[in-house]
Amino acid sequence: MKSTICSALALTLAASVAHAQDLPQAQNAWFTAGQERIQAELAKQPNTNVAKNVILMISDGNGVGSNYATRVFAGQQDGGFGDDFIQHHETFPNLALVKTYNVNAQTPDSAGTGTAMMAGVKTKIGVIGIDEDVVRGDCSTLEGNTVKSMNEIAHDMGKATGIVSTARITHATPASAYSKSVDRNFEASVPEGCDTQTDIATQLIDAMEAGVIDVAMGGGMRNFHADEGGRREDGVNLIERAEGLGAHFAMDQASFEAAPLDGTPILGLFENSHMMYEADRTDEPSLAEMTEAAITALQASGGDNGFFLQVEAGRVDHANHATNAARMVRDGVAFAEAVAIADALTDDEDTLIVVTADHEHALAFNGYCGRGSNILGLCMDIDNEGIGHTGEALLGDDGKPYTVIGYLNGASSILREDMNWAGVRPDLTEEDATDIDYVQQALIPKSSETHSGEDVAVYAKGPYGHLFDGTIEQNVIFHVMHHAMTTEAM
Amino acid sequence: MQRRDFIAAAAGALTLGVAGPARASDDEIRLRELYNKDMSFSPLAEGLEGDRVAVSGFMAPPLKANSKFFVLTKMPMAVCPFCETEAEWPDDILAVYTKRTLKVVPFNVPIVTEGVLELGTFRDPETGFLSRVRLANAVVKHG
Repeated sequence: MKSTICSALALTLAASVAHAQDLPQAQNAWFTAGQERIQAELAKQPNTNVAKNVILMISDGNGVGSNYATRVFAGQQDGGFGDDFIQHHETFPNLALVKTYNVNAQTPDSAGTGTAMMAGVKTKIGVIGIDEDVVRGDCSTLEGNTVKSMNEIAHDMGKATGIVSTARITHATPASAYSKSVDRNFEASVPEGCDTQTDIATQLIDAMEAGVIDVAMGGGMRNFHADEGGRREDGVNLIERAEGLGAHFAMDQASFEAAPLDGTPILGLFENSHMMYEADRTDEPSLAEMTEAAITALQASGGDNGFFLQVEAGRVDHANHATNAARMVRDGVAFAEAVAIADALTDDEDTLIVVTADHEHALAFNGYCGRGSNILGLCMDIDNEGIGHTGEALLGDDGKPYTVIGYLNGASSILREDMNWAGVRPDLTEEDATDIDYVQQALIPKSSETHSGEDVAVYAKGPYGHLFDGTIEQNVIFHVMHHAMTTEAM
Repeated sequence: MQRRDFIAAAAGALTLGVAGPARASDDEIRLRELYNKDMSFSPLAEGLEGDRVAVSGFMAPPLKANSKFFVLTKMPMAVCPFCETEAEWPDDILAVYTKRTLKVVPFNVPIVTEGVLELGTFRDPETGFLSRVRLANAVVKHG
């Protein structure tokens, strides 16, 4: 491994620098690790190869805060304190912070942000694949305002393309790969009189028929048929239509595993609505399994021309909406596993992998917690004589313990309608707080916790990954991918 | 991966203590204990069929006023304008038919409800609500 060689070299160099300066802290493990990092940074070389393949991996709602929670959780599951754990994407050499707002929304949604990342222009909240000159929900404003997505551009270059999501495959983020819709909610039908677009599910099968999308796997089966449980008002069975086009249809673990990965188009719809949370998953593939299958299939389909793939961990967002951090972090871990498999199956020399989130949520972190406080549990006191926490829960001025994670709003608000919206925090034990179904305390009562406008991070490796730097507008993510994919070899 | 394994090793004893599946109290059942992962009924549910049991959860906003019916959810019922087009019932819910007209409890307040456990598909002739598991002749207690 190149990184191992670099590390060994760095250690040698670090030791010599420290020795030369004769600093008293030179043998401290933190000091030598810091020196090692500097040497690794100095050894970085920009990769200016053409990106034959581009993989955009979006963890929906996984801003810097949510990502931090998952990091600590993963590290604690691994037996450590958690905060020094490194998720796979956190090993990537390039990083930027991303401003996620939509043109008319300080707090963005996944439709506007998906369009920014997939087509290079910011647009309004709630619309997909169209620019800001539309009026949300008004089909008459669609024409002349559509934009072209990464999947469509890659297809024009002869590449294979795919989408994988644990949300409905017609949900905002995956839809930004193939759909032009004045409203994200037109998943299975459009309003009467809307004659400028079809529904999002129909647009997916149209894209498969046109060869733009080769692999599509996620949830949302109900939007593709009119049988029991189906939502299609036009009675059309889009699954049969896809099969008629030669696609393999998968709906459970067995039919997923039976999918030919030889370039045959694949349509996977594993739930009527969203796929299960990772914590509850049964008889359907994980995000990592779907990512592996999609990459293998796209490699076969794209051949020397390569591929573009969008992967979404859709349910990090939903667990945050429910203020259920326990499921949020478990889907976050599943996302990191998908990133790892994508990296393992590809070569940095010809594949740009971009890992990001579309927006953050209204979660925040309490203090001052000692190290090793369960990220899902109570904030434990700092031990001034040691490293790990004392085991004593810190108390608010109301005399009650509090969790490390809290939400600013949501259905788990401590304010009660039957008390004229006054509130008293429920008492809490570590056992309650670390239960899989526990919902963290929230302040403002809302039926669903909201997104926030806070920055997210973008991590990258591979060709032109070094163009991610500083604080960028979200639409720049497209421009880096596009440049890496279309530039001339240097 | 752990960057500082020597610290992690020292931390082991302090960071353990992850809680396993827990009951709200000894005589209360959590909603999820009624189901297996594949949403079939658990042995516990089948063993308690016909018995009077107490189940913890949250009262979803009732479908109509002055009702004797509500849905118990394991988490506060959420309607998300930017992830759903409409309210969606989770799979693991419990239909509760109360002994008396319901006194509505806000959806974010934990409750315990006690009634006779009934298993099997049933469509409410009045509301059309389809349930697989119910509490009958129930009373609601605040958590």
